Amino acid sequence: MKLGIDEYGHLSSPLHRWDPRCKFIGLMALVFAFSFVRDLRMLPAMVVVTSAIYIVSKLPVSFMLTRLRYPSFFLLVVVLLLPFVSGHTIVMSLGPLDLRQEGLVAVLLIATRFLSILTVGLVLFGTAPFLTTIKSMRALGLPVILTDMALLSFRYLHEIGDDLHRMETSMRLRGFHERRFSKHGLGILAWLGGSILVRSYERSEWVYKAMILRGYGNAGRQQDEFRASSRDIIALGVTLLTAVGFVAGDILI
Amino acid sequence: MHIPDGFLPATVCAAGYVAAAPVTWYSIHKINQKENPREGVPKASLLTAAFFVVSWIHIPVPPTSVHLVLNGLLGAVLGYFAFPAILIGLFFQAVMFQHGGLTTLGVNSIIMGLPAVVSYYIFRLRNILKKDSQIVTGIFGFLAGFVGLGLSVVMFVVILLNFIPASFDIETERAAIYTLALAHLPLMVIEGAFTSLVTVFLQRVRPKLLDDA
Repeated sequence: MKLGIDEYGHLSSPLHRWDPRCKFIGLMALVFAFSFVRDLRMLPAMVVVTSAIYIVSKLPVSFMLTRLRYPSFFLLVVVLLLPFVSGHTIVMSLGPLDLRQEGLVAVLLIATRFLSILTVGLVLFGTAPFLTTIKSMRALGLPVILTDMALLSFRYLHEIGDDLHRMETSMRLRGFHERRFSKHGLGILAWLGGSILVRSYERSEWVYKAMILRGYGNAGRQQDEFRASSRDIIALGVTLLTAVGFVAGDILI
Repeated sequence: MHIPDGFLPATVCAAGYVAAAPVTWYSIHKINQKENPREGVPKASLLTAAFFVVSWIHIPVPPTSVHLVLNGLLGAVLGYFAFPAILIGLFFQAVMFQHGGLTTLGVNSIIMGLPAVVSYYIFRLRNILKKDSQIVTGIFGFLAGFVGLGLSVVMFVVILLNFIPASFDIETERAAIYTLALAHLPLMVIEGAFTSLVTVFLQRVRPKLLDDA
């Protein structure tokens, strides 16, 4: 099983080289600023900034297109539905359906914000190994329990996913081909889910013992492995100013 | 049932994070009150990953198939760890599958996580009755799954319809709420039945897993 958000984390670009903590603060501020935008006149600027960030990151376009496949379904539903049900100003009538101006404006706003935030998010998590990004979140003060859980969950996600894949294959080989909903089929799938939980629980007991043997909870935490240069700080300042610019622009225009 | 990025205004997204912070703090506080709080971390982490994986199991409901949310089951099994586990699961989904969003992570964690905590309390009621009875476990397992998803659906629809940047008249809004609630009713029954079957399975195979919550 391959989740691969950081498959291009090894590339070399200014965004790959940017200190992960500064990158996290800067790009998260930018995506929140994007979600603040309500004025359509700010949308071209949003598209330009997003495109510039993506180009500088050197991530391939195919990476973004692949990642858009799943969320675009939700977006498609909104694009098809909202112009016909939201608002009162009718722009055009298509048979029994009325195309409404407020709905069209809402779709434009939602779609641009959605694509821009998603693209910047891909740059944030696609330009460094995922574990480095989580460690940078811990260095920024996220509670230790949360980061430990995130690191461990991520570590075992692939293995547990492979367990499920193997067990499903075994079930198929033994003749389980449920195509209709039935109580019997639901029971078997519940046992499959339960078995995954039991296996994971048992594995967690070994993992805990192994972690204790390696000093988990006793040794002092390692010093931060990150070091921000003046260039990183300047890039953070520029990104924060851009984010502030979007918020101010939306209020003032 | 996750709200994507761009659909909600920044104020609502920020409010989601503000609301999620004290719930996360309270969960961590309750975890730290345990005799050995660190012991629970590997268990909760691996079970978080396991729940994430189990939610990939598709239940055939012709002409399509559905996957389960499992927040009720998460609450029943993980207890106070359920909220942080959901927060992490949603973060993974947003980052790896672009399902949900980074700005809406707080809102989504409230939508999924608060009902999980409610489910935990519902499931704990079985301790008052006959805890070792499979029928009692099955009934409270069903309620935990049913209520967990039901509350999430209500919160999802109310937040989306009230804060999406589009204007709906009251009739449209009411129709949307009823339609979505009705559409989810069979799923809530399936979720309840699945949660009930899994909890009974766990009680037979590994009762400790249910008692640790």
